[in-house]
Amino acid sequence: MASDSSPVNFNDGPSSPDDSFSSPIGNTFSSPAEASRRRRRRRSTTPSAFATPPAQQSRFATSEATPTPLRSRHTNTNGRRSAPSSTPMAAATPSSTDDAPPSSEGGEGFDMDEDRPTYVWGTNISVNDVKAAIVRFLKNFREQSFQNSESEYHLEGKYIETIKRVLEVEGDSLDVDALNVFDYDSDLYAKMVRYPLEVLAIFDIVLMEMVPLINPLFEKHIQTRIYNLKTSTSMRNLNPSDIERMVSLKGMIIRCSSIIPEIREAIFRCLVCGYYSDPVAVDKGKIAEPTVCLKEECQARNSMTLVHNRCRFTDKQIVRLQETPDEIPDGGTPHTVSLLMHDKLVDTGKPGDRVEVTGIYRAMTVRIGPTQRTVKSLFKTYIDCLHIKKTDKSRMLTEDQMEVDNFPGGSAEDIIFDEKKVEELKELSKQPDIYDRLTRSLAPNIWELEDVKKGLLCQLFGGNALKLPSGASFRGDINILLVGDPGTSKSQLLQYIHKLSPRGIYTSGRGSSAVGLTAYVTKDPETGETVLESGALVLSDRGICCIDEFDKMSDNARSMLHEVMEQQTVSIAKAGIIASLNARTSVLACANPSGSRYNPRLSVIDNIYLPPTLLSRFDLIYLILDKADEQIDRRLAKHIVSLHFENPESIEQDVLELPTLIAYVSYARKYIHPQLSDEAAEELTRGYVDLRRRGNFPGSSKKVITATPRQIESLIRLSEALARIRFSEWVEKHDVMEAFRLLEVAMQQSATDHSTGTIDMDLITTGISASERMRRESLLSATRNIIMEKMQLGGPSMRLLEILEELKKQGSGSEFHLNDLRNAVTSLASEGFVALHGDAVKRI
Amino acid sequence: MVGVAYDCLANPLGAVRSSFEKVMASDSDLASFDGKDWGAIDLFRNFLFDQSGLSQVPILNHKTIKWVQPNTLVRFRGMIQDMLGNEFYAGAYKDGTVWRTNKFMDVSRFPMGSSSDMRIWERRLIYCVPVPGQNSWTESEAVMYRSVDCEFQQRDKRPRSGDEAIDSMDSLVSSDGFQGSPSAKKMRENEHPSQATQFQESITGSACSSSSWELNIDRDSLSCIVKIYDSPESDLKLNEVFEFVGVLTLDSEFQVDKDEYDEFSNGFGEDALVHFPPNKVPRLHCLIHRKLAVHDLLQHSPMMEPKPDLVKGIREALLRHLTAVLGNDDLAAHFMLFHLLSRVNSRVDTVAVGKLSLNLTRFSKESVSVFGTQLSLAIKNLLPFTHCLPLTVEYLNTASLAPRKDYETNRLTTGVLQLAEGTHLMIDETQLQSGTLNSVGVENARLLKYLMEFQKVEYDFKYYKMEIPADIQLLILSEGKSNILPADLVLPFQPSSVGSSETVPTEALEAWRWYLAILRSLPHSIDSEMQKVIENDLVEARQADRSLGSQDFSRLLTMGRLMSLSLGEACLSLEQWQMVKELERLRRARLQLKT
Repeated sequence: MASDSSPVNFNDGPSSPDDSFSSPIGNTFSSPAEASRRRRRRRSTTPSAFATPPAQQSRFATSEATPTPLRSRHTNTNGRRSAPSSTPMAAATPSSTDDAPPSSEGGEGFDMDEDRPTYVWGTNISVNDVKAAIVRFLKNFREQSFQNSESEYHLEGKYIETIKRVLEVEGDSLDVDALNVFDYDSDLYAKMVRYPLEVLAIFDIVLMEMVPLINPLFEKHIQTRIYNLKTSTSMRNLNPSDIERMVSLKGMIIRCSSIIPEIREAIFRCLVCGYYSDPVAVDKGKIAEPTVCLKEECQARNSMTLVHNRCRFTDKQIVRLQETPDEIPDGGTPHTVSLLMHDKLVDTGKPGDRVEVTGIYRAMTVRIGPTQRTVKSLFKTYIDCLHIKKTDKSRMLTEDQMEVDNFPGGSAEDIIFDEKKVEELKELSKQPDIYDRLTRSLAPNIWELEDVKKGLLCQLFGGNALKLPSGASFRGDINILLVGDPGTSKSQLLQYIHKLSPRGIYTSGRGSSAVGLTAYVTKDPETGETVLESGALVLSDRGICCIDEFDKMSDNARSMLHEVMEQQTVSIAKAGIIASLNARTSVLACANPSGSRYNPRLSVIDNIYLPPTLLSRFDLIYLILDKADEQIDRRLAKHIVSLHFENPESIEQDVLELPTLIAYVSYARKYIHPQLSDEAAEELTRGYVDLRRRGNFPGSSKKVITATPRQIESLIRLSEALARIRFSEWVEKHDVMEAFRLLEVAMQQSATDHSTGTIDMDLITTGISASERMRRESLLSATRNIIMEKMQLGGPSMRLLEILEELKKQGSGSEFHLNDLRNAVTSLASEGFVALHGDAVKRI
Repeated sequence: MVGVAYDCLANPLGAVRSSFEKVMASDSDLASFDGKDWGAIDLFRNFLFDQSGLSQVPILNHKTIKWVQPNTLVRFRGMIQDMLGNEFYAGAYKDGTVWRTNKFMDVSRFPMGSSSDMRIWERRLIYCVPVPGQNSWTESEAVMYRSVDCEFQQRDKRPRSGDEAIDSMDSLVSSDGFQGSPSAKKMRENEHPSQATQFQESITGSACSSSSWELNIDRDSLSCIVKIYDSPESDLKLNEVFEFVGVLTLDSEFQVDKDEYDEFSNGFGEDALVHFPPNKVPRLHCLIHRKLAVHDLLQHSPMMEPKPDLVKGIREALLRHLTAVLGNDDLAAHFMLFHLLSRVNSRVDTVAVGKLSLNLTRFSKESVSVFGTQLSLAIKNLLPFTHCLPLTVEYLNTASLAPRKDYETNRLTTGVLQLAEGTHLMIDETQLQSGTLNSVGVENARLLKYLMEFQKVEYDFKYYKMEIPADIQLLILSEGKSNILPADLVLPFQPSSVGSSETVPTEALEAWRWYLAILRSLPHSIDSEMQKVIENDLVEARQADRSLGSQDFSRLLTMGRLMSLSLGEACLSLEQWQMVKELERLRRARLQLKT
């Protein structure tokens, strides 16, 4: 019996969610339930007085034209199941049909009077017309792309194929895209939305008739699940006119009830004689318990008892859906609505999920008490759920669909850009000032910092990741470090990017540990197995990991970032787990200078105070300094004055709305993969050579390494991102030039050697500037000379301070400190030239 | 005509019914009333405002609840604390051949027939509470009709007798309803007095025997579920203060419901309602609502034009008063005046323009007990809604400051920071000792800081946070500059004498209240010439001192605006700007001064 629970009709349940409720607009149609029940009974081995005669079986298998083949042992012999119930509500569902003359008990069925159209009561639905339309739709609908091809005649309709697939996997539901219905037959669509109960019932009948044609042995009942309605309603706008219509809503699940077993068919046993009754079906949420034993010999009164384990139950669940935050108007609280889920839909969503639900909006009266017939004037509303799809549109679209629903129905759908939107975006991309416009739109409330925003924009768009056949891969993600004075809105920028990015993770350096960032191994408390838990970087795969307070992070945690930032993986080898996890994430970090305020007298490296190995992995390092500039001050003053005294609307800039921006970035990331043009490649080479040569300025013998191969990779990524911004498939020369400009703007700020004034990549890669290195070398040679002069091999040792005195006497190193000297002596010691014991230096 | 037949005050539902019948008699299309009024509201509007019936309508509060009768017209003033969503009801239905309406009532008077002859309408449910921190001077002295003293002896019999009372009311109501037909009208008018007496008696009896209404309602907790009809959603917003005029009902619906309360019905029901037993939370079917501004709360609002001379006079007096309260600290009094006048007048992106929080430093535990108490008393007398928060580690660790959505009951559980617009919040930080904050404490500290900086409170919706804009004046008393709560203005407090506890004449208080209420909302602008001057001043200041930032500029401009507002002028003058700069200079000088 357990396996029989699946074919339970879906549409039957919603009409009676609880015994004490009943729909104000009566349940008009429940034929598939009856039908499926009949089918089920047919193969049931339950000793039944109404076992279906064999003749019927064959008839059923072939009779395609049988309309609403309904019959049951109860008196509800017509298709609308207007059972003679004492409930006045039932009277609301009389049927104008004549398709079901009371059939005899053995019922061979009946033939419908074909000439008279059958209308569902109170609607303009003609059963036959709708049925024909559905059959046409299911059989003939083909996707647009196939329609013009030659193979049209060979291909089966989309839904025929789908049905076959469902049969193969023994599924129990057929997902029907409402848009397809609309494209094929807008009239059917309109009817379906207006009278969902009736039309869906017919849908189910059609399916029931079609399935045996395809696979006569398939016994389950297939339900229709409609999704993707043309219009989606806001929960706030649901109003009385939506009752009994099909609606589609977005929202967040906030609460799920436990699963409620709902009885569908009950079997009673006589306590006196042990006679088992036939299955008694639920009718209007009630089960009529036989008062008298039906066995003729027994006829004991009030002897029937329910046999629980032979009854048939279905799952039911009540879920509360709440509006998503973006739909709530100012000064409102979110609305909620109840969903009723059945069978397979039970437990498809859990609290916190954002879903899109298609269902029928229903209202039911509330009785004052379970025993009273009087109803209150109030209605309780809920949605009979037909289809549920998980969505997450609040963030930028991710490239892979890792988190798409695993619900069989909606999985094919990812967030598609409809054509109108794409057109809009393309139109936007053609504007000549799109780059500036996007820059303006990025965190418009943050003042100035144009170039930083441009860098961040590049990070959002990203470059192309490249994987060579040899296995080497080059990341496309751009890492950015912001170093700046406090109060220069770094954190706000970070927050903003975090909101915008797909799967972004925001952490604060102070509160992050190494394992928290990468991955850690724990024991599962229940099973005792060791499991791998992803950390922030892994979780933000394909996203942006924002790390605030980067400088406050422990060195241990920071060193974990090395692998992530270049190889884009996290390798773990502990507790029996050896794994390499993808962490294709861009890192956006921000830090304060070491003295919390930038000290211009110190070198950049000293100010940033981060290990150079890590620094070189950032494509762009921005120093955000609070510089004294009257122009900027004036703009700021003007801005604030206007803020206070002008209409706030008038100072709104020409910026893109956040959703547009998100859509723009998502589209570009997904569909635009620019290639380097020859011209651009040439420019790149030229510029790079130039950059390397720049250190050799005239009059200087020092060779300053200006750029490293890492920089050329950065440049390529930046140029690709810039091309993406324009929706261009080719990286043009000006993209490369802009990339150089960005790099220089960032580097001039971050890699200026304060003692020489040139760009010095050495500063970043080794932490020591070229001039500093020269100074050290001169100290080293001076020290060597002094030691050579003053000390003999194996002679008495000298104190370091004495050497310093000597150095000062010679005048060559008036600015040397003891520490510098100690370093120099240590390196001499490593050469084996001297020995250093404490403060005493001894020549060996 | 209808107004004559029915007393809008005592029998509003009768008026509603008869107007409906009248409209239906004139063959109107019922469908056109979906979500619309058929003229009943106009009837009441006419009665309340044109015939000035408003003052006769009793205000529902913890005192009047004892004698106000159900199904009469009442007023309720409160803050919207939560919105319980929409409710569908059978708005109109056919009883035989006659259309009846259920609007403005809970239970239908007549058995409803089949569903086809029924129109489903919707109404909004709003949960209102008395404004948090409302000061007693705002409560109007309503005319007391009579007060019923109750004996609580029958308490254990309460449910039963309560039911009886309701039953008798029901029967009464239906007999009342049948008399809607013209033939019965005359008879009904004759018998009306006696019926009314009976009615009152039954209610009195019910109130006495069940006594739950006044038992459970103390001063601050008379909340009310207001049912709003046909009004656009944007009219009513969370945390706004409204006056609702409507029909008070005592519905029996949920008393029975509770018996069958289980998870199942709960899943569907308007969960929240289950937690508001009608004997504790009255229902109000709102006919007319209006938003209350501060000056609507003034008792004897002197309807004066804010003329500069008058305003200046009041300003001087108020400043003198504040100076006295603040122990002769003239500078602090000036800033206090600005602070009391400040409000968020616009929001640009995340910036709340116009806020001016004040941090008075150099308080010690001793001086707080003197000046703090005085100050709090003085502010209580001046502003309608005030609140005090003693900040201790323990408080931070335990208090629930932010409202939180409880999904079990589907309600917004209020928090300390759910305050009406324009509420004054005084935070006493002097009692803060060193200690460890737990996660709640950290979160609470963050919330306070966030409120301070952005004038927004994050409401906790479990799966996400929702920022609700607030407009709260924050005053912090602390020993040193508060680190948890970075105020716009930090001023070391330097009293030179112990504040006098002078008694202020009521007229003066009323004038000051009026002054603060009116001037706060005056429009204000600045001409372009003055803008230039200010810009130059700001640039100059920044060139001289790099540490000045946009916040400092903002503060100066806010002060400038408040300065000219406090003088009753709509435009900032150079002289006033100079005064502001002078005040700022004095403040900075005092900040430099180390004690």
